[in-house]
Amino acid sequence: MRISEQAKQENRSRILDKAAEIFNSKGFEDSTTRDIALAAGLAAGTLFNYFPSKETLAMTMVSEALVQGREDYLRRCTGREELAEELFLFVASGLRRLRPLRPFLGPVLERSLSPFPRKNVCQEGETARQEHLAAVQSILARHGFTEAPDYVAMTMYWSLYLGILAFWSNDTSPNQEASQALIDYSIRMFVQLISGSGADKGEADAS
Amino acid sequence: MQVEDGRDTETLQMEMLLDALPKGSATDPASLALARLITNISNKKVPVSSFSRIWTLGSLQARVSAGYFAYWLRSRFSDAENKQRLKSEAHLAAALKLFGTMGYMRGAVMKVGQLLANLPEVVPEEFAEVLSALHFEAPPMHFAMVREVFLDEFGREPEELFASFDRQAFAAASLGQVHRARLHSGEEVAVKIQYPGIAHTIKADLRNLRLLLQPLCLTIDWQDTLAKLADIERMLLMETDYGQEAAYNRKARLVFNDADRIAVPLVHDQYSTRRVLTTEYLHGCHINDFLATDPGQGERDHFTRLLTVATYRLYYRLHWLPADPHPGNFIFMADGRLGMIDFGCTLTLSDEEWVFSNEAIQAALDKDLQGLNRAIARACRFDDPGDMEPDRLEVIRQGFYWFMEPWQQEGIFDFGDRAFFLRGIDNVIEATRKGYTRSLPMTLWSNRFTFGGRAFCYKLKGRCEFRKIFKQEAAGAAAKLT
Repeated sequence: MRISEQAKQENRSRILDKAAEIFNSKGFEDSTTRDIALAAGLAAGTLFNYFPSKETLAMTMVSEALVQGREDYLRRCTGREELAEELFLFVASGLRRLRPLRPFLGPVLERSLSPFPRKNVCQEGETARQEHLAAVQSILARHGFTEAPDYVAMTMYWSLYLGILAFWSNDTSPNQEASQALIDYSIRMFVQLISGSGADKGEADAS
Repeated sequence: MQVEDGRDTETLQMEMLLDALPKGSATDPASLALARLITNISNKKVPVSSFSRIWTLGSLQARVSAGYFAYWLRSRFSDAENKQRLKSEAHLAAALKLFGTMGYMRGAVMKVGQLLANLPEVVPEEFAEVLSALHFEAPPMHFAMVREVFLDEFGREPEELFASFDRQAFAAASLGQVHRARLHSGEEVAVKIQYPGIAHTIKADLRNLRLLLQPLCLTIDWQDTLAKLADIERMLLMETDYGQEAAYNRKARLVFNDADRIAVPLVHDQYSTRRVLTTEYLHGCHINDFLATDPGQGERDHFTRLLTVATYRLYYRLHWLPADPHPGNFIFMADGRLGMIDFGCTLTLSDEEWVFSNEAIQAALDKDLQGLNRAIARACRFDDPGDMEPDRLEVIRQGFYWFMEPWQQEGIFDFGDRAFFLRGIDNVIEATRKGYTRSLPMTLWSNRFTFGGRAFCYKLKGRCEFRKIFKQEAAGAAAKLT
């Protein structure tokens, strides 16, 4: 039976809503695509027409949240921010959109964004990574870094970002405020790294 | 070439450090090993090195502070056997390293280092300057971070909540920073915002510091150190609760009226949370700008009187010690009022502490030597004056006499008198050098309150009828009770 494009969109969106509910209540590991399909009123096999795996389903939610986060960042950015401040705004806006997914995010991010070589690369995760890094590069370009940072710098950025995500998804402080301090420090560290200013052990500030 | 330059600087700094560090230990007469340990730690690169306002034993002053701290700790295990010494040394190094990264204490530690480096020829001006730096700081926040705090606390951006909001902070505050803003009703306000997660950092640091120090000290004074560290942590954490500060602020407003000429800003509850505190903005300047206008003696005396009334009103009426002597907490207003802001570091005396505090003052006023000695023994955590070494009792008593001088003088008391202030400093230095530091934790804050207030008035070169004021305030509080 052929269904209309509108019905497809409605199914997709219902699957995502129900998946979020189920992931939140049972956790990512203990949820099955069958549970989700049932909750969405679909046959188990039909769900795979929309999302080939549980990982892709979860990572789609992450990608969509990150796209919204990027939109928020663009709306909130005044153009007067210094580099570290703008990067902070970008990362914090994304995390704010990811917040509703936080209870089940740890294993999803670990599987889909891990930098270690693995058999099945999650395409959604890879796309999210590339889009995130492209946004970072355009921020850097706006702050006078005319040449794109090399793979070493961007790999270091991505490691810091994954570290932030890992810490944040497990952060029990109110409003994840400990993560905010971590983002602040991590970004300052990255900016320091690509700016190439020498380590001063604090003397400059101490004087 | 650069390396050689670096080495030269290092050698020079080592020499300066050696010069400043205390001498005399039988095991290490030149303090050479200690200086090496400190230099070694401070020259280690750590990843946080370049963050603004996070220091890592970088400056000489900071190293000197750490040096004295280490010297004091070492003196506690100088007789220990070699194995124990080595173990203790490792703990000491780790403790110093941690101490050096506690950024919120950076300003205070550097200033203390500056003072210690100049011992014993400390001048009153320097001492006053150091006292003004004894507060806790947080790293500065850029505006993007401020916005995140607002979204978490209010669910709205600062620009949405206020009619206007300055992106740049105009002042540092206890564990945060202050921005100017305007309410939609048009009122100007000061908005204090706390650095996210600072309470967590403080708790973790102090827990680690205690663990690292644990094996070093097994003496009775160790319990004293633990009690003081616990009290410092309690006060620091209290400073992180802006809700509590707002409550103090509201209470303080109630004890002054228009005739007092003392302004405590109004708290705007709707714009305040545990992490954000919004109060009325008081127009005026701080002490340095006030002094730059070359005020006459009359003006200096006027503000000295107001400061005395303000602090002793809080003491007698509310049993508070405003324990943060930072000059930024007092505003010289153009209309002649004195503004009091920031009640984050306010110690409320327990009933027992309140009675004890006044017994000591009364004994001194009555010239009751035995009563005073008993009070001193208790303050120094001894059961009886007879348990104290006579010299310890004498030194602490001299300090208390100094504290009581203004209370006992009829008429005008001149807080700008250099000789008077210097006597107080000499006493503190003597007590510290002789190791007579064991005391009840509350004395940390009462000393900070006394020295902070006196340093402020010394800087102001102000005078007032102190005895008359304290009697009025004590009588006013008693009348309120009946």
